[in-house]
Amino acid sequence: MKDFVLHGRWVMILMCAIFLMSCSSLPVIKPVDPTAVPNTKKRCRQPFLDIPYRFIHSIEVSFPGGKTGTVMGVTVFDPAEKTIHSVIMTIEGFVLFDAWYEKEVRVNRAVPPFNAEQFAGYMMEDVRLIFLAPDGKLLDSGVNAEGSTVCRYPGNKDSIIDVIVHKDESWDIETYSNSHELLRKINAVDVQNRIPGMVELRGFGFREYSLRLKLINAEEASPEANRVRPGETPEDDE
Amino acid sequence: MEFMMENRAKRYVLLIGILCTCAFMLGWVNTWEDIRRESAKIKTVSAQFSQQKHMQILTKPLVSKGRFYFQTPDSVRWEYTSPIKSVLIMQKGSIKRYTQGSRGLVEDASGSLESMQIVLQEIGRWTRGQFTENEHFSATLKGGKGPRIILTPKEKGLAAMISRIVITLSPDRQGVIKSVKIIENEGNYTLFEFTDVQINGKISETLFREIG
Repeated sequence: MKDFVLHGRWVMILMCAIFLMSCSSLPVIKPVDPTAVPNTKKRCRQPFLDIPYRFIHSIEVSFPGGKTGTVMGVTVFDPAEKTIHSVIMTIEGFVLFDAWYEKEVRVNRAVPPFNAEQFAGYMMEDVRLIFLAPDGKLLDSGVNAEGSTVCRYPGNKDSIIDVIVHKDESWDIETYSNSHELLRKINAVDVQNRIPGMVELRGFGFREYSLRLKLINAEEASPEANRVRPGETPEDDE
Repeated sequence: MEFMMENRAKRYVLLIGILCTCAFMLGWVNTWEDIRRESAKIKTVSAQFSQQKHMQILTKPLVSKGRFYFQTPDSVRWEYTSPIKSVLIMQKGSIKRYTQGSRGLVEDASGSLESMQIVLQEIGRWTRGQFTENEHFSATLKGGKGPRIILTPKEKGLAAMISRIVITLSPDRQGVIKSVKIIENEGNYTLFEFTDVQINGKISETLFREIG
């Protein structure tokens, strides 16, 4: 009987926890005047460039406990083709990770621990989230409590993606799980001509981390720029 | 999503510093014996460097600049001034790297005691001009005008990361190198070029102790 009571308590606690979790809700989006919806949709596309671009960033990686490491990242993406080529290297120029995304991830080079299972997938998902507009149909749009423009889209695995564009042209992207827990938060600031000088991505949940991408260079790229092509052989080596 | 570099990557990073350090110790040479003899004459080196990263993903090389200091037997300061400020200091058996981030110039988590041991081992060999006894690389010397040393990895693991390293020596200035090229694979290489090279000049000790 005692055992039964204990089990019963645990069941109650579990049920309460599930109930509370199911109660966590997505941020409220207040509707705008129907005539303003096209403008809202347009504004939500502002963070995502329409033409192929090449970005070079310094990336400061922070882990719980305050440890940090800095690497450099080169990203070339084509919004029309929805392709991404991403390279991460040390400050000294050693390439740690080189991967290509076109419907699926193809890793060209990955030095341990960048060759860890699932790393490439998660990594490219983060890159995609920052640079490419969400694929899914618009679920909702309007403004949030601060008056910033918000658009909500469906993401992978029943997740939700909120794109938030603030009045000062800075922007946030937030992703939520199907139980509405915050998974990622991206904050882009120092925006000039739609290009942010600084992007911070924070990952929540089991493994918390943050990436601070400081812009070194941004330039238009040709559509073929991120195609993997035969390399040029350096001269005078042999 | 851990970006901490493991041993092989750390080794590469440090190898660059070592290569550039030791390459300065090479004089105008035609034989390995010349290298050993010239190595003994160098006590300090300072130089400016330009690092050009060539990759398929880039249309033009990514250029970093900085300054480099060395003092025998094992003090090194390898400092980047742009585009990211970073200082690597090695002295008396300890190595640390500091990088400019959101909290200022802070110690980078990628430094480790293990890497330091590798550094000291390599420096010990190369300062004595012992390229041919190196356990990680096979060395080929190509003498004459514009002499070059070509290093090829011996280990399969290292060869997967570095195809070869080419050290080009100045044809007319003794003790000065022209460039170090680290080729990872076709279309992907890093070229270090040196200017304002000072051999056996006075270098302040604080450069090997303080990051500022």
